[in-house]
Amino acid sequence: MLVLARKRNQNIVIDGRIRVRVVRLDRQVVKIAVEAPRSIPVFRLEIYEDIQKNNHSAATRGARKAPRLTRKQFNPTDTQGRQ
Amino acid sequence: MDGGSKTSARPEKNKGVINLPAGLLGFEQARNYILLGSQEEAPFMWLQMADEPGLSFLVVEPCRVVENYNPDLADEDVEFLGLSNPEDALLLNIVTLHEDGSVTANLKGPIVVNRYTLVGKQVIPRNVSDYGLQHPIAAATTAPMA
Repeated sequence: MLVLARKRNQNIVIDGRIRVRVVRLDRQVVKIAVEAPRSIPVFRLEIYEDIQKNNHSAATRGARKAPRLTRKQFNPTDTQGRQ
Repeated sequence: MDGGSKTSARPEKNKGVINLPAGLLGFEQARNYILLGSQEEAPFMWLQMADEPGLSFLVVEPCRVVENYNPDLADEDVEFLGLSNPEDALLLNIVTLHEDGSVTANLKGPIVVNRYTLVGKQVIPRNVSDYGLQHPIAAATTAPMA
């Protein structure tokens, strides 16, 4: 792990092709610009953590019943005729 | 046919089993799943771990419960899944049944499966910030929480 100190508008380059720049610096918040090839996904860490947590809470052991859709959400071409 | 290798690269051998080479976020080691459904539970289905029965996820195809859901897949995800066009992809979103009886779907991390190879991946679309982690679905649970 590398820890670097940067001032506003200074850059870090990763693997020669990902550029990270400090755009704005307040007391509480730093605004960071990331320039990377399209093939490299860049997300806030929370996205990964949130999905992980969501997966964990959604996982079930044992039998549970699926919910029923309320009528409005049914696919109009559904021929089931369910209430 | 040999004894049945779970990691066989021949799709015919694993027909019906959805293979997620990267598992799910938080469950990276669970790679093989069976998609189970019944007319009674439609459009909801169960994605059950083939290697650890009993651990399942309620899933739904988003087109049945959400309008205007257009996750923009990263190029490398499209490539990884071998998708030639959008119709090749089966989308499954994980559904959460909450304590208060509400039902939500995770639109931030859809599971995208190639319909033909049955290889899938839980992806984070490029437009992830347009969608909710717990998007409400108009549905009601029919039984008290276990």
